[in-house]
Amino acid sequence: MEGPPAAAEVSLHNFSARLWEQLVHFHVMRLTDSLFLWVGAAPHLRNLAVAMCSRFDSIPVSTSLLGDASDTTSAGLAQRLARKTNKQVFVSYNLQNTDSNFALLVENRIKEEMDAFPEKF
Amino acid sequence: MPVPTAVDPQRTPASQPAMEDKPMVVSKQKTDVVCGVPTQVVCTAFASHILVVVTQFGKMGTLVSLEPSSVAGDLSRPVVSTRVLLGQDEPLIHVFAKNLVAFVSQEAGNRAVLLAVAVKDKSLAGLQALKALIRLCQVW
Repeated sequence: MEGPPAAAEVSLHNFSARLWEQLVHFHVMRLTDSLFLWVGAAPHLRNLAVAMCSRFDSIPVSTSLLGDASDTTSAGLAQRLARKTNKQVFVSYNLQNTDSNFALLVENRIKEEMDAFPEKF
Repeated sequence: MPVPTAVDPQRTPASQPAMEDKPMVVSKQKTDVVCGVPTQVVCTAFASHILVVVTQFGKMGTLVSLEPSSVAGDLSRPVVSTRVLLGQDEPLIHVFAKNLVAFVSQEAGNRAVLLAVAVKDKSLAGLQALKALIRLCQVW
């Protein structure tokens, strides 16, 4: 008789895109119930936010774990991805550009990758 | 008209340029059985941190930040302070985290370590096996 099923292997995925003349890198680590997404131009980990769906609110609950809590880019992105994937989502967004249009471009690029490679998320 | 499948390595979204040779962020992963439980370790190197994920349940689990303290102690062995960022904050997790990844922080040029641990049995027995598994995923 087998024990509890082993969790599926952790999936690691890297991709990059040129957005507004800037080369943006993405690193995705997918676990069964959690997702870790890193976005940056250089390998810095300046902040970290997490979001997860809550049965008490249609908007996933999110919080900042590391870095400047007043910058809500990571937390906002984590919230939207948590809602989309129904997983606990960790996001570290490390781009200097604070233009909301740029952030939207980044987010759309992530969604594009999610549609192209759903097994990586 | 053929329907594109999800698992097609050749297909890339329209805006995607050619894939890079070496990822910006270096990761290594290993799976092994530790004390009878399949365990996965992933280590990822960032400039300021080494992210170490040790999981048995497919979750990130408790998140602990390990930072070398700037307080001058014994110079040969810098003091490392632990902080639980997410999850149950109890004494055992601090002791476990320190014993598990302090060596990573020291070897990685005194970098901070972000540890995500989802392990059922935090006893000493599994600790050495987990350290060995982390060693196999050395990215520093």
